Amino acid sequence: MAELLHAGGSGLHAWLLVTSALFSLGIYGLLTRRNAVGILLSLELCLNAAAVQFAVFNALRAPGRVDGAVMALFVVAVAAAEVVVGMALFVLLYSQRRTVDVTELTGDGRDSAGGPP
Amino acid sequence: MSAETLRSALFWVFATLSLSLAWSVVGNRRLLRAAVALMGVLGCSAAFYALLGFGFLAGIQILVYVGGIVVLLVFLVMLTRTQALLEDEPTPWRHKVGVVAAVGFFVVNLWALASLPDAAVQGPVLGGDTRAIGRALLDAGPQGYVLPFEAVSVLLLAALVGGIAVARKVDVAALPPAEANHG
Repeated sequence: MAELLHAGGSGLHAWLLVTSALFSLGIYGLLTRRNAVGILLSLELCLNAAAVQFAVFNALRAPGRVDGAVMALFVVAVAAAEVVVGMALFVLLYSQRRTVDVTELTGDGRDSAGGPP
Repeated sequence: MSAETLRSALFWVFATLSLSLAWSVVGNRRLLRAAVALMGVLGCSAAFYALLGFGFLAGIQILVYVGGIVVLLVFLVMLTRTQALLEDEPTPWRHKVGVVAAVGFFVVNLWALASLPDAAVQGPVLGGDTRAIGRALLDAGPQGYVLPFEAVSVLLLAALVGGIAVARKVDVAALPPAEANHG
């Protein structure tokens, strides 16, 4: 076991394997979720995997610099802004249509909102 | 057990935990549980940052991501709760498209990254990176990040104002009839 841990190690390839798998799971969620909030959750997964990958490249390919870490910080800030805007949009959507199911968001929504035809 | 072995062991523990929780994020039919699982994934990522030697990033990850963004997402799940609490299983077509896209990305990504020479993490766990990150963020020179730093602050302000403006209650009945028709 210790041999395997040493050989397999936590080298660059192992890190990239894990972050790529996290990003792929996020893509799967993006394409299969029907609830808009679930899509936002999957998007967070993708963003987080990308941020970790920035930090991995920083630590393993350019030790002594912090550019990847700074990029990861920016990703966190952009994710915060994205969630705020997404939350506002989905709350508005829910108050008008009573659903956040993206497969039902066709047409202009006047029928479901009870407005004039 | 040497420090390197310990670091590898911790890495694989957190990697396994992170991937299984991520599977729960995309697959769980209850969205609130998916949000809690996302909290776990982000916590594992904070552990990754610590293992890579970025102690400051690990702290920020916990403070902003786990403590702020996921809480917003939990509020969002609760605010948009529909009658059908459970999300349906994806249709076979959507499932197939999702699997093809995810596996395709994974394979292409690994193929592109496999040519990189392997390397190992050097330096201590939870290293002191705060001073270096702070200097890089406020450096106005050619290697500095002061412009994107200020742009992010403008972006956050715009998101704040935009979020309030979009989610503000609009009284449809108070609008003139023509506008109500269009809105």
